[in-house]
Amino acid sequence: MWRRLVELTSAKEDGLSFAIFRALIGACLLATVGTVIARGLVPIIWIDREWGGYRTLGDRSWLVTLLGGPRPEAVWLVIAVALLSGVALVVGLGGRFTALVASQTWLALSLLNGHCGGSYDELLSNALWLLVLGPCTRTLSLDSRIRTGHWLSSEPIGKWARYLVVFQLVVVYCSTGAQKVSAYWTPVGGFSALYYILQQPSWQRTDMSFLAYVYPLTQVATATTWLFELTSPLLLVSMWLRAHPDRGGRVRRFFTRIDYRIPFCIVGVGMHLGIQALMNVGPFSLISLSYYVAIWRPDEIASVARRFGEWRARGAHNSEAPATRIVTS
Amino acid sequence: MAVGRFWPHVRAALLLFHVTAVLLAAIPAPEGGMQRSAWKDPTVQGEFDEWYTRFRQLGYQGDRTAFEEGLWKFAVAYSKVRGKVLAPFRPYYRYAGTTQGWRMFVAPHRFPARLSIDVHRNGTWENVYVERSTTATWLADILDHDRLRSATFRYSWPQYAKTYSQFCTWIQMRASVDFPDADHLRVRYFKYRTRSPEEVRANEPEDGKWILVRELPLPEPRP
Repeated sequence: MWRRLVELTSAKEDGLSFAIFRALIGACLLATVGTVIARGLVPIIWIDREWGGYRTLGDRSWLVTLLGGPRPEAVWLVIAVALLSGVALVVGLGGRFTALVASQTWLALSLLNGHCGGSYDELLSNALWLLVLGPCTRTLSLDSRIRTGHWLSSEPIGKWARYLVVFQLVVVYCSTGAQKVSAYWTPVGGFSALYYILQQPSWQRTDMSFLAYVYPLTQVATATTWLFELTSPLLLVSMWLRAHPDRGGRVRRFFTRIDYRIPFCIVGVGMHLGIQALMNVGPFSLISLSYYVAIWRPDEIASVARRFGEWRARGAHNSEAPATRIVTS
Repeated sequence: MAVGRFWPHVRAALLLFHVTAVLLAAIPAPEGGMQRSAWKDPTVQGEFDEWYTRFRQLGYQGDRTAFEEGLWKFAVAYSKVRGKVLAPFRPYYRYAGTTQGWRMFVAPHRFPARLSIDVHRNGTWENVYVERSTTATWLADILDHDRLRSATFRYSWPQYAKTYSQFCTWIQMRASVDFPDADHLRVRYFKYRTRSPEEVRANEPEDGKWILVRELPLPEPRP
């Protein structure tokens, strides 16, 4: 058992998927902190009442406490460092050190006022910690450019880094699905949960009473969401089985024939686009979708990128062709 | 050399620790909902009623009060055991940011509350902010941001009474600047039952009541 675990955690692959995840999470960090600054919310929600904030903030963040508490100078310093580390993550500079700085500064900010946040804060802090654990700037990074002279590097990283991202995504879905114990999520309550959730003023983007006229659609969406979340561990199972097609077995053959990742991504992306369109739950969908990139192997992403590049080149060639003819005639 | 030989084992152990910590913390728990006052909310009571009916159909013999009391005792005991199991991992959750609180929309709030703000000037109350209103939009840039939505959602629950008072004081400070001719401020929530699709189609009105009403004076004279 232990030997198999050591083997599993020693397997290597190209770091492209994990590097894209890094860049997307860096962008999510910038966007998350950026909207708070842009709306002028920093002095209101992240600064203590003593200096103009709306409530008394505790000392939940060791970093802010170390800097003297949630006073403007300390909080703005943490924000500045968080933004800088976000940029560094996007361009891939500083490796794990940058990820650690981003992780700790974001953790400090998100802990300042627990009333003004949600699960998306945890989703982001978990993502940043995964970037601390894995070598996130091995490729598609400024680090790679400095080290090898190229933006891309084929130097491998542990496969476990990408698998941990997928594992975290599955944990989020499965855990939230298992906690949806309300009758409204089940056939007992007529799969009416989403209809009623979308009537709550706190989360709806705008008045959603029109959903009463397309109520059956909301029932389908409720059932789909609930089942999608509860069955999400199948994603990890299918990825594991597909990674070893030679070992045989009926279930393995099934998952080798049907790429479960495709329906998973179609439903998952659809669900998050729906959330984004109908609700205001902050950067939740953006951060969640960033995790999706890890579902795909680096060679699959490289292949799609190559085909896209060829398609663009063909398009450019075709659009140039008539112009060339006109000139030469 | 020795380090290189042992590293795959150390790495496997560290990754196993991480996966175990994440899995244990993600196991469903009633964390954050263990207040008797929160259990009295009509939304929560409605859920208990629904499940009590189902359990009765499956042969449960106790009455409604015993059913809720049993759930409370189970939740308390379960939380206690969970707390002990997670205790060794707490520093990892706290300092690495690996907490796993995925209690997202576990149940629709059938009796939500809509924040409303009024100012009193020239002898009448004027409605200046209502959640999701397109006309009463004072401070909407701030209060409609997802981070403040999260806060105002919480403050309609009784366990946040102290912070709600601080929030109202902050609104009072803003109002005294933005409405120099007003003499009073009123912050309150309209708690109502969300209408069923049939009720919406029949154009039936929202049925609710005002809660957490705070009336505060706006000091004079002001700039």
